[in-house]
Amino acid sequence: MKDNPQFDEKIREHTFDGIQEYDKKLPNWWLWTLWLSVVFAVGYWFWAHRWNIRPTQEQRYAQEYAKAHPEEAAAMEAKMLTDEELWALSKDMKLVMSGEKIFKSTCVSCHGADMKGGIGVNLVDADWKHGGKPTEIYNLVANGFLPKGMPAWGPQLGKKKVEQVVSFVLSKHSPDEPVKVVP
Amino acid sequence: MNGRAKVPNRDEVTTINDDGSRYMIHPSDVRGRFSLLRRLAAVVMIVVYLALPFIPVGGYPAVFLDWEHSRFHLFGLTFVAQDLVMVFFLITGLGFSLYVATSVLGRVWCGWACPQTVFLEHVYRRIERWIEGDGPARRQLDRAPWTFNKLGKRVLKHALFWLFSAVIAHLFLAYFVSPSQLLGMLQHGPQGYWAPFFMVTVMTLLLYFNFAWFREQFCIILCPYGRFQSALIDEHTVNVGYDEKRGEPRGKVGTEGAGDCIDCRRCVQVCPTGIDIRQGLQMECIGCANCIDACDDIMLKLERPRGLVRYASQRNLSGFTTRWKRPRLFLYAALMLLGMTVLYLSSGRLKPTVFSVGRLPGIPYVLSEGKVRNMYQVRIINKRHEPRSYRLNVVAGGVAVERHGFESTVTVAAEMEDLQTLVLLVNKEDYRKGLEFELELVPEQGSGSQKKKVPFVGPDF
Repeated sequence: MKDNPQFDEKIREHTFDGIQEYDKKLPNWWLWTLWLSVVFAVGYWFWAHRWNIRPTQEQRYAQEYAKAHPEEAAAMEAKMLTDEELWALSKDMKLVMSGEKIFKSTCVSCHGADMKGGIGVNLVDADWKHGGKPTEIYNLVANGFLPKGMPAWGPQLGKKKVEQVVSFVLSKHSPDEPVKVVP
Repeated sequence: MNGRAKVPNRDEVTTINDDGSRYMIHPSDVRGRFSLLRRLAAVVMIVVYLALPFIPVGGYPAVFLDWEHSRFHLFGLTFVAQDLVMVFFLITGLGFSLYVATSVLGRVWCGWACPQTVFLEHVYRRIERWIEGDGPARRQLDRAPWTFNKLGKRVLKHALFWLFSAVIAHLFLAYFVSPSQLLGMLQHGPQGYWAPFFMVTVMTLLLYFNFAWFREQFCIILCPYGRFQSALIDEHTVNVGYDEKRGEPRGKVGTEGAGDCIDCRRCVQVCPTGIDIRQGLQMECIGCANCIDACDDIMLKLERPRGLVRYASQRNLSGFTTRWKRPRLFLYAALMLLGMTVLYLSSGRLKPTVFSVGRLPGIPYVLSEGKVRNMYQVRIINKRHEPRSYRLNVVAGGVAVERHGFESTVTVAAEMEDLQTLVLLVNKEDYRKGLEFELELVPEQGSGSQKKKVPFVGPDF
């Protein structure tokens, strides 16, 4: 192993298959990375674990989740809307237009492009099967009516989108219109 | 060191002194066949490295790792996060091609194509050479007392190092943002772009540190690829090597019984990692061939045949012939082909649209007015950067089917998804167990329609 006579170095005791190694000093830059890591670790420990300045992983996950699912966060906070509030929403053209978009991809297959029904009920006449009040329509969209094949859209669309699509349906009606419930 | 260059030996790394401090290598200039070829290769490599994010392939830059949208464009293929499995085959395909190259030609990647070598030898060291002179002059300047002249040279050198690091860092950012976005950010300033600004700043610092000071330490100590290449090399692998049989014993010209090596130490002076190639293949060697050119030059002057230091395998240097076909070569090649084949086959399945069909939650079917009704939800994800329109065909296969929903063309905005409700009705008499329909999604522009089989359920009497 030692073919260089100028060299008088300590050799470590352990041997692996006849291979031995010198006891050399690490490069100083390498030692610096070690000491800086130690300093960083102490700082990080206080920052993240002792003083809790940094949000925990659970908190950050909750934040990210709320950011990605705004409708769930809103649903947690928001209370149920009243008839009057839903009527008011149906005057908001922006909401109604979003509602129309949802209707065209989600509801149109059964309720028809002209909303006069088909498989589903007619939504533009005065006849209602499950109640014609805005809150009743809202509940029906959200919870569905399975015996006739109306799915519960609440879990799929979320509160906000159900409100929008209900606003769109209501925009075809007015509060002083007669409502007839035909079961 | 007493003003002389350190003498390399096999028992320690030249660039680390006994006390752990750094010994800076100042390789001398070298000219020759390989230096010329390597410079040409470097120009090509620099152009390739810097141009990849700017060459459009199939509507996207050749390499565009779109962090913001989690979409990765590689030479016309677009990967989304769900396609991440394929990265395994991309890496094994590419990785094993490096294995093949290494088992045949040693660390040819390190010496000729690695960005570390390419930018260090052909950009940063050229700047250093231009300002501070050749190797001995640089070593002298290192030791010289601080004068106005030395200060000027050092300030100019490091200013240029900073400048080049900043330019390279900005161009590197183009791998992650589109070129037009990069231009917009540059014109706008860091306000509002703190994340990329931070990234470029850190990148500039790292590049400066690496190319101004760290240099060959990266190859010797940090680079994992440099390390495991040693395990891929065998005695038939062609490396840069010294022909001991021809060179030894060393002696001045005219010495009785002396070999061809005159111990002029040119090969040591030009080495960028500070080794003496005459001590055999060492782990520091990046296969740059500087020593070959240096020795060939001397041999030419002495009118001796060149190639005392040359590309040769250990077998060749010991007087045997090199065997090219070896089991490890076939093994590496097979693994490379496996990775590339799977990548090729699986990337062929990559589609710009995700098409899936599910059932509406609730009840499986509705029986009303003599008809069986099934309700489905069609999900379309448009992975493209532009809006796309789709039609849906229902292939009934002889059964009369009434269909509602998704009747007209649907346009999905760029990188968005859309859900469509689809209702299928079949007369009760026509219904039978195990009925199936095929849904075909047809894009309006271009080809690539996709089919999905959906079961139709009903009362099984």
